[in-house]
Amino acid sequence: MMHDLSKIEEIIDRSPKEPGALIAVLQDIQREFHYLPCEALTATSRALGVPLSKVFSVSTFYNAFSLTPRGEKIIRICQGTACHIKGAKLVQEQIESNLGIKAGETTKDMKYTIEVVNCVGACAMAPVIIVNNKYHGKVRCDQTRKLLGIK
Amino acid sequence: MVTITINGKAVQANEGEMLLAAIRRQGIDTPALCHHDAIEPCGSCRLCMVEITKKEWEGWTRSVTSCLYPVEPGLIVSTHTPQLLELRKTILELYLARSSQSEVIQKMAEDYGITHSSFPVIPDGDDCIMCYACTRICEELGCFAISAVDRGHDKKVSGPLRQPPPDCIGCLSCAHICPTGFIKWQDLDSTRTIWERQFELLSCRTCGKRTITRDFAEYLMKKRNLPAAYFELCDDCKRTETAKTMGKIVVAAQEVLK
Ligand code: FES
Repeated sequence: MMHDLSKIEEIIDRSPKEPGALIAVLQDIQREFHYLPCEALTATSRALGVPLSKVFSVSTFYNAFSLTPRGEKIIRICQGTACHIKGAKLVQEQIESNLGIKAGETTKDMKYTIEVVNCVGACAMAPVIIVNNKYHGKVRCDQTRKLLGIK
Repeated sequence: MVTITINGKAVQANEGEMLLAAIRRQGIDTPALCHHDAIEPCGSCRLCMVEITKKEWEGWTRSVTSCLYPVEPGLIVSTHTPQLLELRKTILELYLARSSQSEVIQKMAEDYGITHSSFPVIPDGDDCIMCYACTRICEELGCFAISAVDRGHDKKVSGPLRQPPPDCIGCLSCAHICPTGFIKWQDLDSTRTIWERQFELLSCRTCGKRTITRDFAEYLMKKRNLPAAYFELCDDCKRTETAKTMGKIVVAAQEVLK
């Protein structure tokens, strides 16, 4: 996949060129592209003087980073204890069948990605799903289509 | 010098050294997998745990990794208490569950009377015990070719982007330091293979024996400022050459003194 390389340069340019800035730079890149493209990893490594192996180690360690392209809408389904008890599993199955993909996958048209997360700190609203950073509580299976914005 | 007590015996230890070194100097066998003198200790294998206390601790004891614990005056160390033996057995059983095929682990476990793990054995487990001795030595050399990637159960050592590591110089340090011999490599004719990469091996100008990889030689030329000529001969032929030169000097000196 081709990327706007100037965007990557821009992000790197505005950060201090030191190893300590690694995670912050990766976060900015992740925010911009919804994942970390290969080119961005090598460029970051070069600019901050962090060996590529280290950059890769960090990018694969944190759940917040993804190395595969992700959809425009990221659906996070909470499977924390409270959500789990309140039927988050059923909600997940419903969403998976709505979109025809499994958790961790992205639809072919790059529109949706499903992610499973552990407790988002909103247990009172269980079960919770988050669509592009917007929280939806007390989700029922018959609401998922509407929340995803599909017919 | 610092005086500590190991298993009831007062012994001298060097200031700043770690307990493990002092213990081993006493000829006491403390198992350790992740420790190696060439790299900084990291305390990942947990096998070197010992029990420490001090007079003023009023009976309190602590279990610490001896490879990481610097000697302190007045430290009282026990290396083989029943609790420690239990602890090591459990750790070895965990290793045995992960790396059931590893001879090193099997042997260590056997020494502790364990022949099988009470934990479910991972069917496709490998011999890597995640001590990162390999990545640590690679860092120490300044190559940073390999690193730990992913997390949790999927964690493993790999080249960046899950590709053969471009910065590897084929020096074999990782393979040699690996306590379980997990990192495989092969020398075939003039080619060395490691981490799915192939390296050209140099050979001795005189006897033809393969020496080190071209990449390693170039690394040494750059980092250690060695001349290219240094890599033309193998160690044996270098020794012979030196002996010959010395012989000539001696003869010449005798001539002069005559
Ligand atoms: S040798 Fe101390 S923890 Fe491995």
